[in-house]
Amino acid sequence: MRPLFVTWEYPPYKAGGIAAHCEDLATTMAAQGHNPVVLTYGEKEETEYRDGVEIHRVPATDAASDTISWAMHLGHQIEKKAIELNKQEKFDLVHAHDWMAVPGATGIKKTLALPMVFTVHSTQEGRDGRDSEYQETIHNLEWYGTYEASQVITVGREFSEEVKNLYEVPENKINYIPNGVDLEKFDKHSYSINHNDYALDWEKIVLFVGRMYPQKGPGHLIEAMPEITDRYDEAKFVMCGSGATEYYKDIAKSKMGEKVHFPGYVSDRELLGLMKHAEMMVTPSVYEPFGIVPLEAAASNTMTVGSYVGGMKDTIVHEYTGLHSYPADPDSIAYQVNRALEDPGWNDWMGDNARERVEENFQWEQISAWTTGIYQDALR
Amino acid sequence: MKVLMLSKEFHDGEGVSEYCKNLAEYLVEKGHEATIVSFDDKADYHVDQRVKVQKVPLPIEGDNIYSWAMMMNNELKNRAREIVETEGYDLIHCNDWSTIPGGVSLKKHLELPLAVTVHSTENERGFEGDHAELISELEWEGTFEADAVFVTKDDTKNSVLFDLDVPEAKLKTVDPYSHDWQSRILNTYKEILKQKEKLLQEN
Repeated sequence: MRPLFVTWEYPPYKAGGIAAHCEDLATTMAAQGHNPVVLTYGEKEETEYRDGVEIHRVPATDAASDTISWAMHLGHQIEKKAIELNKQEKFDLVHAHDWMAVPGATGIKKTLALPMVFTVHSTQEGRDGRDSEYQETIHNLEWYGTYEASQVITVGREFSEEVKNLYEVPENKINYIPNGVDLEKFDKHSYSINHNDYALDWEKIVLFVGRMYPQKGPGHLIEAMPEITDRYDEAKFVMCGSGATEYYKDIAKSKMGEKVHFPGYVSDRELLGLMKHAEMMVTPSVYEPFGIVPLEAAASNTMTVGSYVGGMKDTIVHEYTGLHSYPADPDSIAYQVNRALEDPGWNDWMGDNARERVEENFQWEQISAWTTGIYQDALR
Repeated sequence: MKVLMLSKEFHDGEGVSEYCKNLAEYLVEKGHEATIVSFDDKADYHVDQRVKVQKVPLPIEGDNIYSWAMMMNNELKNRAREIVETEGYDLIHCNDWSTIPGGVSLKKHLELPLAVTVHSTENERGFEGDHAELISELEWEGTFEADAVFVTKDDTKNSVLFDLDVPEAKLKTVDPYSHDWQSRILNTYKEILKQKEKLLQEN
Protein backbone atom coordinates (compact mmCIF):
# COMPACT_ATOMS: atom_id res chain seq x y z
CA MET A 1 0.00 0.00 0.00
CA ARG A 2 1.10 3.56 -0.70
CA PRO A 3 -0.27 5.88 2.01
CA LEU A 4 0.58 9.58 2.02
CA PHE A 5 1.34 10.90 5.51
CA VAL A 6 0.68 14.59 6.04
CA THR A 7 2.33 16.01 9.16
CA TRP A 8 3.70 19.44 9.91
CA GLU A 9 6.70 17.95 11.73
CA TYR A 10 8.91 14.97 10.93
CA PRO A 11 12.37 14.17 12.34
CA PRO A 12 14.87 15.71 12.53
CA TYR A 13 12.36 18.56 12.97
CA LYS A 14 10.28 17.90 16.07
CA ALA A 15 8.43 19.97 18.58
CA GLY A 16 5.95 17.50 20.01
CA GLY A 17 5.33 13.78 19.81
CA ILE A 18 3.82 13.69 16.32
CA ALA A 19 7.18 13.67 14.54
CA ALA A 20 8.42 10.59 16.40
CA HIS A 21 5.06 8.85 16.01
CA CYS A 22 5.02 9.40 12.25
CA GLU A 23 8.60 8.26 11.85
CA ASP A 24 8.15 5.06 13.85
CA LEU A 25 4.89 4.24 12.07
CA ALA A 26 6.18 5.00 8.56
CA THR A 27 9.44 3.13 9.11
CA THR A 28 7.64 0.07 10.43
CA MET A 29 5.15 0.12 7.53
CA ALA A 30 8.06 0.27 5.09
CA ALA A 31 9.69 -2.71 6.83
CA GLN A 32 6.40 -4.58 6.39
CA GLY A 33 6.50 -4.07 2.63
CA HIS A 34 4.39 -0.92 2.21
CA ASN A 35 5.51 2.27 0.50
CA PRO A 36 4.67 5.16 2.81
CA VAL A 37 5.38 8.67 1.57
CA VAL A 38 5.71 11.54 4.04
CA LEU A 39 4.86 15.12 3.11
CA THR A 40 5.92 17.70 5.61
CA TYR A 41 7.31 21.17 6.20
CA GLY A 42 10.96 22.00 5.54
CA GLU A 43 13.08 25.09 5.26
CA LYS A 44 13.61 24.29 1.60
CA GLU A 45 12.16 21.88 -0.91
CA GLU A 46 13.93 18.54 -0.60
CA THR A 47 13.49 14.81 -0.92
CA GLU A 48 15.05 12.22 1.30
CA TYR A 49 14.88 8.42 1.43
CA ARG A 50 15.41 7.08 4.91
CA ASP A 51 14.71 3.58 6.25
CA GLY A 52 12.48 2.76 3.29
CA VAL A 53 10.41 5.92 3.67
CA GLU A 54 10.16 8.57 0.96
CA ILE A 55 10.14 11.99 2.64
CA HIS A 56 9.31 15.23 0.84
CA ARG A 57 9.62 18.64 2.46
CA VAL A 58 8.08 21.83 1.17
CA PRO A 59 8.81 25.32 2.44
CA ALA A 60 6.11 27.70 3.65
CA THR A 61 5.77 31.44 3.83
CA ASP A 62 6.95 33.50 6.75
CA ALA A 63 4.20 36.02 6.01
CA ALA A 64 1.53 34.23 8.07
CA SER A 65 0.43 36.19 11.10
CA ASP A 66 -0.77 33.18 13.08
CA THR A 67 -0.51 29.39 13.16
CA ILE A 68 -3.92 28.75 11.57
CA SER A 69 -3.14 30.77 8.47
CA TRP A 70 0.33 29.25 8.36
CA ALA A 71 -1.24 25.77 8.41
CA MET A 72 -3.64 26.82 5.63
CA HIS A 73 -0.79 28.13 3.51
CA LEU A 74 1.39 25.07 4.18
CA GLY A 75 -1.58 22.87 3.33
CA HIS A 76 -1.84 24.46 -0.10
CA GLN A 77 1.90 23.94 -0.76
CA ILE A 78 1.67 20.33 0.44
CA GLU A 79 -1.34 19.70 -1.80
CA LYS A 80 0.50 20.97 -4.88
CA LYS A 81 3.42 18.65 -4.08
CA ALA A 82 1.00 15.74 -3.61
CA ILE A 83 -0.55 16.42 -7.04
CA GLU A 84 2.91 16.28 -8.61
CA LEU A 85 3.91 13.08 -6.78
CA ASN A 86 0.59 11.41 -7.56
CA LYS A 87 1.32 11.78 -11.27
CA GLN A 88 4.44 9.65 -10.90
CA GLU A 89 2.77 7.01 -8.78
CA LYS A 90 -0.74 7.08 -7.38
CA PHE A 91 -1.40 7.18 -3.67
CA ASP A 92 -3.94 4.86 -2.06
CA LEU A 93 -5.01 7.29 0.64
CA VAL A 94 -4.01 10.32 2.65
CA HIS A 95 -3.31 10.04 6.39
CA ALA A 96 -3.36 13.29 8.41
CA HIS A 97 -1.86 13.77 11.86
CA ASP A 98 -3.54 16.41 14.07
CA TRP A 99 -5.24 19.65 13.05
CA MET A 100 -2.21 21.32 11.47
CA ALA A 101 -2.38 18.65 8.74
CA VAL A 102 -6.13 19.01 8.18
CA PRO A 103 -6.07 21.81 5.56
CA GLY A 104 -3.50 19.97 3.42
CA ALA A 105 -4.99 16.50 3.83
CA THR A 106 -8.57 17.58 3.11
CA GLY A 107 -7.35 19.51 0.06
CA ILE A 108 -5.58 16.38 -1.20
CA LYS A 109 -8.65 14.30 -0.50
CA LYS A 110 -10.85 16.65 -2.54
CA THR A 111 -8.50 17.26 -5.46
CA LEU A 112 -7.15 13.73 -5.87
CA ALA A 113 -10.35 11.97 -4.76
CA LEU A 114 -8.49 9.89 -2.17
CA PRO A 115 -9.87 8.38 1.03
CA MET A 116 -8.62 10.11 4.16
CA VAL A 117 -7.59 8.72 7.54
CA PHE A 118 -7.13 11.12 10.44
CA THR A 119 -5.17 10.44 13.62
CA VAL A 120 -6.12 12.65 16.55
CA HIS A 121 -3.21 12.90 18.96
CA SER A 122 -4.81 15.53 21.20
CA THR A 123 -7.66 18.03 21.11
CA GLN A 124 -7.79 21.81 21.37
CA GLU A 125 -10.40 21.38 24.11
CA GLY A 126 -7.96 19.27 26.13
CA ARG A 127 -4.85 21.34 25.36
CA ASP A 128 -5.98 24.79 26.37
CA GLY A 129 -9.69 25.09 25.80
CA ARG A 130 -11.74 26.97 23.25
CA ASP A 131 -12.63 30.32 24.69
CA SER A 132 -11.43 32.56 21.88
CA GLU A 133 -12.56 32.58 18.27
CA TYR A 134 -9.05 31.50 17.32
CA GLN A 135 -9.20 28.43 19.60
CA GLU A 136 -12.71 27.68 18.36
CA THR A 137 -11.43 27.67 14.78
CA ILE A 138 -8.76 25.10 15.69
CA HIS A 139 -11.46 23.00 17.35
CA ASN A 140 -13.56 23.32 14.17
CA LEU A 141 -10.62 22.22 12.03
CA GLU A 142 -10.27 19.15 14.23
CA TRP A 143 -13.96 18.49 13.79
CA TYR A 144 -13.64 19.00 10.02
CA GLY A 145 -10.81 16.43 9.94
CA THR A 146 -12.98 13.82 11.65
CA TYR A 147 -15.90 14.76 9.37
CA GLU A 148 -13.93 14.39 6.16
CA ALA A 149 -12.01 11.27 7.21
CA SER A 150 -13.33 7.80 6.35
CA GLN A 151 -11.64 6.47 9.47
CA VAL A 152 -10.46 8.25 12.61
CA ILE A 153 -7.66 6.88 14.76
CA THR A 154 -7.18 7.93 18.37
CA VAL A 155 -4.23 7.03 20.55
CA GLY A 156 -6.03 6.29 23.82
CA ARG A 157 -8.99 4.12 24.81
CA GLU A 158 -10.65 6.74 26.97
CA PHE A 159 -9.50 9.45 24.56
CA SER A 160 -11.34 7.74 21.73
CA GLU A 161 -14.61 8.20 23.69
CA GLU A 162 -13.71 11.84 24.26
CA VAL A 163 -13.05 12.38 20.53
CA LYS A 164 -16.22 10.53 19.59
CA ASN A 165 -18.40 12.68 21.82
CA LEU A 166 -16.64 15.98 21.19
CA TYR A 167 -16.88 15.81 17.38
CA GLU A 168 -19.90 13.51 17.15
CA VAL A 169 -17.95 10.90 15.19
CA PRO A 170 -20.04 7.87 14.14
CA GLU A 171 -19.17 4.72 16.08
CA ASN A 172 -18.07 2.79 12.97
CA LYS A 173 -15.46 5.43 12.08
CA ILE A 174 -13.61 5.63 15.36
CA ASN A 175 -10.64 3.42 16.23
CA TYR A 176 -8.25 3.13 19.13
CA ILE A 177 -4.65 2.25 18.41
CA PRO A 178 -2.10 2.92 21.15
CA ASN A 179 1.27 4.46 20.46
CA GLY A 180 4.23 2.15 20.39
CA VAL A 181 7.77 2.05 21.64
CA ASP A 182 10.79 1.24 19.53
CA LEU A 183 12.40 -1.29 21.88
CA GLU A 184 15.46 -1.59 19.70
CA LYS A 185 16.29 2.04 20.43
CA PHE A 186 16.34 1.20 24.13
CA ASP A 187 18.16 -2.11 23.80
CA LYS A 188 20.89 -0.88 21.46
CA HIS A 189 21.67 1.70 24.02
CA SER A 190 24.54 0.76 26.33
CA TYR A 191 25.55 4.20 27.55
CA SER A 192 25.59 4.66 31.31
CA ILE A 193 25.10 8.05 32.82
CA ASN A 194 27.26 9.38 35.58
CA HIS A 195 25.11 9.14 38.69
CA ASN A 196 26.95 12.00 40.36
CA ASP A 197 25.95 14.39 37.57
CA TYR A 198 22.45 14.16 39.03
CA ALA A 199 22.60 12.94 42.59
CA LEU A 200 24.81 12.01 45.52
CA ASP A 201 26.01 8.40 45.83
CA TRP A 202 23.32 7.37 48.30
CA GLU A 203 20.45 9.16 46.59
CA LYS A 204 17.85 7.51 44.34
CA ILE A 205 16.55 9.34 41.28
CA VAL A 206 12.83 10.05 40.98
CA LEU A 207 12.48 11.26 37.41
CA PHE A 208 10.06 13.60 35.63
CA VAL A 209 10.26 13.84 31.84
CA GLY A 210 7.93 16.11 29.90
CA ARG A 211 7.07 19.60 28.80
CA MET A 212 6.66 21.75 31.87
CA TYR A 213 3.14 23.01 31.47
CA PRO A 214 0.15 22.71 33.79
CA GLN A 215 -1.31 19.92 31.63
CA LYS A 216 1.69 17.73 32.52
CA GLY A 217 1.32 18.49 36.25
CA PRO A 218 4.92 19.32 37.27
CA GLY A 219 3.53 21.68 39.94
CA HIS A 220 1.66 18.85 41.66
CA LEU A 221 4.81 16.78 41.84
CA ILE A 222 6.73 19.73 43.29
CA GLU A 223 4.04 20.11 45.95
CA ALA A 224 4.37 16.41 46.79
CA MET A 225 8.16 16.51 47.17
CA PRO A 226 8.47 17.52 50.86
CA GLU A 227 6.12 14.72 51.94
CA ILE A 228 8.39 12.26 50.11
CA THR A 229 11.77 13.46 51.38
CA ASP A 230 10.37 13.71 54.93
CA ARG A 231 10.04 9.93 54.90
CA TYR A 232 12.72 8.93 52.40
CA ASP A 233 15.64 11.29 52.43
CA GLU A 234 17.32 9.31 49.63
CA ALA A 235 14.79 10.57 47.08
CA LYS A 236 16.35 12.98 44.58
CA PHE A 237 14.06 14.63 42.05
CA VAL A 238 15.34 15.17 38.53
CA MET A 239 13.10 17.28 36.30
CA CYS A 240 13.79 17.05 32.55
CA GLY A 241 11.97 18.82 29.76
CA SER A 242 11.29 22.04 27.94
CA GLY A 243 8.50 24.55 28.54
CA ALA A 244 8.19 26.84 31.54
CA THR A 245 11.26 25.32 33.21
CA GLU A 246 12.45 28.54 34.88
CA TYR A 247 9.07 29.06 36.48
CA TYR A 248 8.93 25.56 37.95
CA LYS A 249 12.61 25.58 38.82
CA ASP A 250 12.18 28.69 40.99
CA ILE A 251 9.30 27.15 42.91
CA ALA A 252 11.00 23.77 43.33
CA LYS A 253 14.35 25.22 44.34
CA SER A 254 12.84 27.48 46.99
CA LYS A 255 11.00 24.50 48.47
CA MET A 256 13.53 21.72 48.06
CA GLY A 257 16.96 23.26 47.49
CA GLU A 258 19.54 20.60 46.57
CA LYS A 259 16.98 17.78 46.63
CA VAL A 260 15.71 18.76 43.21
CA HIS A 261 17.75 19.13 40.04
CA PHE A 262 16.83 20.68 36.69
CA PRO A 263 19.51 19.55 34.22
CA GLY A 264 18.21 21.73 31.37
CA TYR A 265 18.66 20.30 27.89
CA VAL A 266 19.66 16.64 27.88
CA SER A 267 20.53 14.66 24.73
CA ASP A 268 18.43 11.66 23.69
CA ARG A 269 21.30 9.39 24.69
CA GLU A 270 21.55 10.92 28.14
CA LEU A 271 17.77 10.74 28.58
CA LEU A 272 17.68 7.02 27.74
CA GLY A 273 20.46 6.51 30.27
CA LEU A 274 18.56 8.45 32.91
CA MET A 275 15.37 6.47 32.35
CA LYS A 276 17.22 3.19 32.72
CA HIS A 277 19.06 4.39 35.80
CA ALA A 278 16.18 6.11 37.63
CA GLU A 279 14.41 4.43 40.53
CA MET A 280 11.07 5.41 39.08
CA MET A 281 9.32 7.75 36.67
CA VAL A 282 6.58 10.13 37.80
CA THR A 283 3.99 11.36 35.26
CA PRO A 284 1.58 13.62 37.16
CA SER A 285 -0.39 14.82 34.09
CA VAL A 286 -3.90 16.14 34.57
CA TYR A 287 -4.76 15.51 30.91
CA GLU A 288 -3.04 12.90 28.76
CA PRO A 289 -4.66 11.41 25.64
CA PHE A 290 -1.95 8.75 25.51
CA GLY A 291 1.30 9.65 27.26
CA ILE A 292 4.36 7.95 25.83
CA VAL A 293 6.62 8.51 28.86
CA PRO A 294 5.36 5.56 30.98
CA LEU A 295 6.03 3.25 28.02
CA GLU A 296 9.52 4.63 27.48
CA ALA A 297 10.19 4.10 31.17
CA ALA A 298 8.81 0.58 30.84
CA ALA A 299 11.11 -0.11 27.89
CA SER A 300 13.94 0.85 30.27
CA ASN A 301 12.67 -1.55 32.98
CA THR A 302 11.57 1.39 35.11
CA MET A 303 8.18 1.57 36.81
CA THR A 304 5.99 4.70 36.67
CA VAL A 305 3.85 6.49 39.21
CA GLY A 306 1.29 8.12 36.92
CA SER A 307 -2.06 9.87 37.23
CA TYR A 308 -5.15 7.79 36.64
CA VAL A 309 -6.16 9.77 33.53
CA GLY A 310 -6.59 9.12 29.81
CA GLY A 311 -4.09 6.78 28.22
CA MET A 312 -2.28 6.08 31.48
CA LYS A 313 -5.30 4.11 32.70
CA ASP A 314 -4.18 1.56 30.10
CA THR A 315 -0.43 2.03 29.91
CA ILE A 316 0.06 1.56 33.66
CA VAL A 317 -1.35 -1.46 35.50
CA HIS A 318 -1.70 -0.48 39.15
CA GLU A 319 0.55 -2.44 41.51
CA TYR A 320 1.83 -4.54 38.61
CA THR A 321 3.72 -2.27 36.16
CA GLY A 322 3.53 0.91 38.22
CA LEU A 323 1.25 2.84 40.51
CA HIS A 324 -1.69 5.13 39.85
CA SER A 325 -2.10 8.39 41.72
CA TYR A 326 -5.13 10.68 41.65
CA PRO A 327 -4.72 13.53 39.17
CA ALA A 328 -3.87 16.95 40.59
CA ASP A 329 -3.46 15.45 44.06
CA PRO A 330 0.01 15.97 45.61
CA ASP A 331 -0.85 13.83 48.67
CA SER A 332 -1.74 10.94 46.43
CA ILE A 333 1.47 11.33 44.39
CA ALA A 334 3.53 11.40 47.61
CA TYR A 335 1.71 8.36 48.98
CA GLN A 336 2.35 6.25 45.88
CA VAL A 337 5.97 7.35 45.42
CA ASN A 338 6.59 6.50 49.08
CA ARG A 339 5.06 3.04 48.67
CA ALA A 340 7.51 2.31 45.87
CA LEU A 341 10.49 3.70 47.77
CA GLU A 342 9.54 1.64 50.81
CA ASP A 343 9.96 -1.66 48.97
CA PRO A 344 12.82 -1.62 46.43
CA GLY A 345 12.29 -5.26 45.52
CA TRP A 346 8.67 -4.61 44.61
CA ASN A 347 9.73 -1.49 42.72
CA ASP A 348 12.16 -3.51 40.56
CA TRP A 349 9.60 -6.28 40.04
CA MET A 350 7.11 -3.70 38.69
CA GLY A 351 9.81 -2.31 36.36
CA ASP A 352 10.42 -5.78 34.92
CA ASN A 353 6.69 -6.42 34.50
CA ALA A 354 6.33 -3.07 32.74
CA ARG A 355 9.02 -4.07 30.24
CA GLU A 356 7.38 -7.43 29.60
CA ARG A 357 4.01 -5.80 29.06
CA VAL A 358 5.44 -3.34 26.52
CA GLU A 359 7.02 -6.22 24.62
CA GLU A 360 3.64 -7.91 24.40
CA ASN A 361 1.33 -4.98 23.78
CA PHE A 362 2.99 -1.83 22.50
CA GLN A 363 5.20 -2.83 19.58
CA TRP A 364 5.19 -0.84 16.35
CA GLU A 365 4.95 -4.04 14.25
CA GLN A 366 1.54 -4.67 15.76
CA ILE A 367 0.46 -1.03 15.61
CA SER A 368 1.46 -0.74 11.98
CA ALA A 369 -0.54 -3.86 11.10
CA TRP A 370 -3.61 -2.45 12.89
CA THR A 371 -3.18 0.82 11.03
CA THR A 372 -3.00 -0.80 7.60
CA GLY A 373 -6.09 -2.79 8.61
CA ILE A 374 -7.88 0.53 9.13
CA TYR A 375 -6.59 1.67 5.73
CA GLN A 376 -8.41 -1.32 4.24
CA ASP A 377 -11.62 -0.15 5.93
CA ALA A 378 -11.07 3.37 4.56
CA LEU A 379 -10.60 2.00 1.03
CA ARG A 380 -13.89 0.12 1.10
CA MET B 1 -15.67 24.63 -25.93
CA LYS B 2 -16.43 23.89 -22.27
CA VAL B 3 -15.42 26.47 -19.68
CA LEU B 4 -15.60 26.05 -15.91
CA MET B 5 -15.58 29.24 -13.86
CA LEU B 6 -14.83 29.58 -10.16
CA SER B 7 -16.21 32.41 -8.05
CA LYS B 8 -16.39 32.86 -4.29
CA GLU B 9 -20.03 33.90 -4.60
CA PHE B 10 -22.76 34.01 -7.21
CA HIS B 11 -25.80 36.21 -6.87
CA ASP B 12 -27.57 39.04 -8.63
CA GLY B 13 -26.03 42.49 -8.42
CA GLU B 14 -22.59 41.48 -7.17
CA GLY B 15 -19.64 42.53 -9.36
CA VAL B 16 -17.76 39.28 -9.91
CA SER B 17 -21.04 37.33 -10.16
CA GLU B 18 -22.31 39.65 -12.91
CA TYR B 19 -18.98 39.32 -14.72
CA CYS B 20 -19.19 35.52 -14.68
CA LYS B 21 -22.88 35.56 -15.59
CA ASN B 22 -22.43 37.86 -18.62
CA LEU B 23 -19.45 35.90 -19.84
CA ALA B 24 -21.17 32.54 -19.37
CA GLU B 25 -24.35 33.73 -21.11
CA TYR B 26 -22.30 34.94 -24.06
CA LEU B 27 -20.49 31.57 -24.27
CA VAL B 28 -23.69 29.50 -24.31
CA GLU B 29 -25.20 31.92 -26.86
CA LYS B 30 -22.23 31.19 -29.12
CA GLY B 31 -22.82 27.46 -28.76
CA HIS B 32 -20.26 26.73 -26.05
CA GLU B 33 -20.82 25.30 -22.59
CA ALA B 34 -20.26 27.11 -19.33
CA THR B 35 -20.46 26.04 -15.69
CA ILE B 36 -20.09 28.34 -12.71
CA VAL B 37 -19.02 26.77 -9.41
CA SER B 38 -19.30 29.01 -6.38
CA PHE B 39 -19.71 28.88 -2.63
CA ASP B 40 -23.35 28.51 -1.64
CA ASP B 41 -24.02 32.08 -0.50
CA LYS B 42 -27.77 31.26 -0.24
CA ALA B 43 -28.58 34.37 -2.30
CA ASP B 44 -30.75 34.53 -5.43
CA TYR B 45 -29.44 34.62 -8.96
CA HIS B 46 -31.01 34.75 -12.39
CA VAL B 47 -29.11 33.39 -15.33
CA ASP B 48 -29.75 31.92 -18.79
CA GLN B 49 -30.83 28.37 -18.10
CA ARG B 50 -28.26 26.95 -20.48
CA VAL B 51 -25.59 28.08 -17.99
CA LYS B 52 -24.99 25.46 -15.30
CA VAL B 53 -24.57 26.82 -11.79
CA GLN B 54 -23.30 24.71 -8.92
CA LYS B 55 -23.27 26.21 -5.46
CA VAL B 56 -21.39 24.22 -2.87
CA PRO B 57 -21.96 24.49 0.87
CA LEU B 58 -19.02 24.77 3.26
CA PRO B 59 -19.39 22.92 6.57
CA ILE B 60 -16.71 24.93 8.38
CA GLU B 61 -16.16 28.63 9.06
CA GLY B 62 -12.70 30.17 9.31
CA ASP B 63 -11.74 32.80 11.87
CA ASN B 64 -11.04 35.27 9.06
CA ILE B 65 -11.53 35.73 5.32
CA TYR B 66 -8.22 34.07 4.45
CA SER B 67 -8.79 30.79 6.27
CA TRP B 68 -12.43 30.80 5.19
CA ALA B 69 -11.35 31.10 1.55
CA MET B 70 -8.73 28.36 1.87
CA MET B 71 -11.33 25.93 3.22
CA MET B 72 -13.98 27.09 0.75
CA ASN B 73 -11.62 26.21 -2.09
CA ASN B 74 -11.71 22.59 -0.90
CA GLU B 75 -15.39 22.43 -1.80
CA LEU B 76 -14.89 24.27 -5.11
CA LYS B 77 -12.12 21.83 -6.09
CA ASN B 78 -14.14 18.81 -5.13
CA ARG B 79 -17.22 19.80 -7.17
CA ALA B 80 -15.22 21.15 -10.11
CA ARG B 81 -13.14 17.96 -10.28
CA GLU B 82 -16.28 15.79 -10.31
CA ILE B 83 -17.75 17.85 -13.14
CA VAL B 84 -14.57 17.84 -15.21
CA GLU B 85 -14.04 14.12 -14.68
CA THR B 86 -17.54 13.19 -15.75
CA GLU B 87 -18.21 15.76 -18.47
CA GLY B 88 -14.75 16.73 -19.72
CA TYR B 89 -13.90 20.42 -19.71
CA ASP B 90 -11.40 22.47 -21.73
CA LEU B 91 -10.48 25.35 -19.47
CA ILE B 92 -10.69 26.67 -15.91
CA HIS B 93 -11.30 30.36 -15.30
CA CYS B 94 -10.95 31.65 -11.76
CA ASN B 95 -11.66 35.04 -10.29
CA ASP B 96 -9.54 36.91 -7.77
CA TRP B 97 -7.32 35.49 -5.03
CA SER B 98 -10.25 33.83 -3.29
CA THR B 99 -10.52 31.10 -5.95
CA ILE B 100 -6.85 30.91 -6.93
CA PRO B 101 -5.91 27.97 -4.63
CA GLY B 102 -8.63 25.89 -6.27
CA GLY B 103 -7.83 27.07 -9.79
CA VAL B 104 -4.15 26.23 -9.43
CA SER B 105 -4.76 22.78 -7.92
CA LEU B 106 -7.29 21.90 -10.63
CA LYS B 107 -4.99 23.11 -13.40
CA LYS B 108 -2.15 20.96 -12.09
CA HIS B 109 -4.19 17.85 -11.36
CA LEU B 110 -6.45 17.89 -14.40
CA GLU B 111 -3.79 19.38 -16.70
CA LEU B 112 -6.14 22.04 -18.03
CA PRO B 113 -5.32 25.58 -19.11
CA LEU B 114 -6.02 28.27 -16.52
CA ALA B 115 -7.33 31.80 -17.02
CA VAL B 116 -7.41 34.24 -14.11
CA THR B 117 -9.32 37.50 -13.91
CA VAL B 118 -7.91 39.92 -11.37
CA HIS B 119 -10.74 42.32 -10.55
CA SER B 120 -8.46 44.19 -8.15
CA THR B 121 -5.16 43.47 -6.41
CA GLU B 122 -4.37 43.49 -2.70
CA ASN B 123 -2.03 46.43 -3.33
CA GLU B 124 -4.90 48.39 -4.87
CA ARG B 125 -7.11 47.56 -1.90
CA GLY B 126 -4.55 49.08 0.45
CA PHE B 127 -2.62 45.98 1.61
CA GLU B 128 -4.30 46.14 4.98
CA GLY B 129 -5.11 43.52 7.58
CA ASP B 130 -3.25 40.52 8.97
CA HIS B 131 -3.48 38.45 5.82
CA ALA B 132 -2.60 41.02 3.15
CA GLU B 133 0.75 39.39 2.43
CA LEU B 134 -0.69 35.88 2.17
CA ILE B 135 -3.43 37.17 -0.14
CA SER B 136 -0.92 39.00 -2.29
CA GLU B 137 1.17 35.81 -2.49
CA LEU B 138 -1.90 34.00 -3.80
CA GLU B 139 -2.40 36.69 -6.44
CA TRP B 140 1.21 36.23 -7.47
CA GLU B 141 0.83 32.43 -7.59
CA GLY B 142 -2.38 32.54 -9.61
CA THR B 143 -1.12 35.00 -12.19
CA PHE B 144 2.17 33.07 -12.42
CA GLU B 145 0.39 29.78 -13.07
CA ALA B 146 -2.21 31.27 -15.44
CA ASP B 147 -2.02 30.89 -19.20
CA ALA B 148 -3.89 34.17 -19.52
CA VAL B 149 -4.53 36.99 -17.05
CA PHE B 150 -7.41 39.42 -17.50
CA VAL B 151 -7.83 42.72 -15.73
CA THR B 152 -10.86 44.98 -15.93
CA LYS B 153 -9.15 48.39 -15.73
CA ASP B 154 -5.81 50.17 -16.20
CA ASP B 155 -5.06 50.64 -12.50
CA THR B 156 -5.25 46.91 -11.96
CA LYS B 157 -3.15 46.34 -15.07
CA ASN B 158 -0.38 48.52 -13.65
CA SER B 159 -0.50 46.78 -10.29
CA VAL B 160 -0.45 43.33 -11.89
CA LEU B 161 2.50 44.34 -14.07
CA PHE B 162 4.58 45.97 -11.37
CA ASP B 163 3.46 44.40 -8.09
CA LEU B 164 2.95 40.85 -9.36
CA ASP B 165 5.51 40.87 -12.21
CA VAL B 166 3.14 39.36 -14.74
CA PRO B 167 4.62 39.37 -18.27
CA GLU B 168 2.71 41.74 -20.51
CA ALA B 169 2.36 39.05 -23.19
CA LYS B 170 -0.20 37.07 -21.20
CA LEU B 171 -2.03 40.07 -19.78
CA LYS B 172 -5.17 41.61 -21.32
CA THR B 173 -7.26 44.52 -20.16
CA VAL B 174 -10.89 43.74 -20.87
CA ASP B 175 -13.38 46.27 -19.54
CA PRO B 176 -16.64 44.43 -18.78
CA TYR B 177 -18.58 47.62 -19.57
CA SER B 178 -17.17 47.85 -23.09
CA HIS B 179 -18.94 46.64 -26.21
CA ASP B 180 -18.58 42.95 -27.06
CA TRP B 181 -15.98 42.43 -24.31
CA GLN B 182 -16.87 38.75 -23.96
CA SER B 183 -15.69 38.05 -27.52
CA ARG B 184 -12.20 39.21 -26.59
CA ILE B 185 -12.14 36.73 -23.70
CA LEU B 186 -13.45 33.96 -25.95
CA ASN B 187 -10.76 34.72 -28.50
CA THR B 188 -8.11 34.45 -25.82
CA TYR B 189 -9.56 31.10 -24.72
CA LYS B 190 -9.28 29.93 -28.32
CA GLU B 191 -5.66 31.09 -28.55
CA ILE B 192 -4.76 29.27 -25.33
CA LEU B 193 -6.38 26.04 -26.53
CA LYS B 194 -4.71 26.35 -29.94
CA GLN B 195 -1.31 26.74 -28.26
CA LYS B 196 -1.98 23.75 -26.04
CA GLU B 197 -2.94 21.70 -29.11
CA LYS B 198 0.26 22.75 -30.81
CA LEU B 199 2.35 21.80 -27.80
CA LEU B 200 0.66 18.40 -27.65
CA GLN B 201 1.34 17.76 -31.32
CA GLU B 202 4.98 18.78 -31.01
CA ASN B 203 5.53 16.38 -28.15
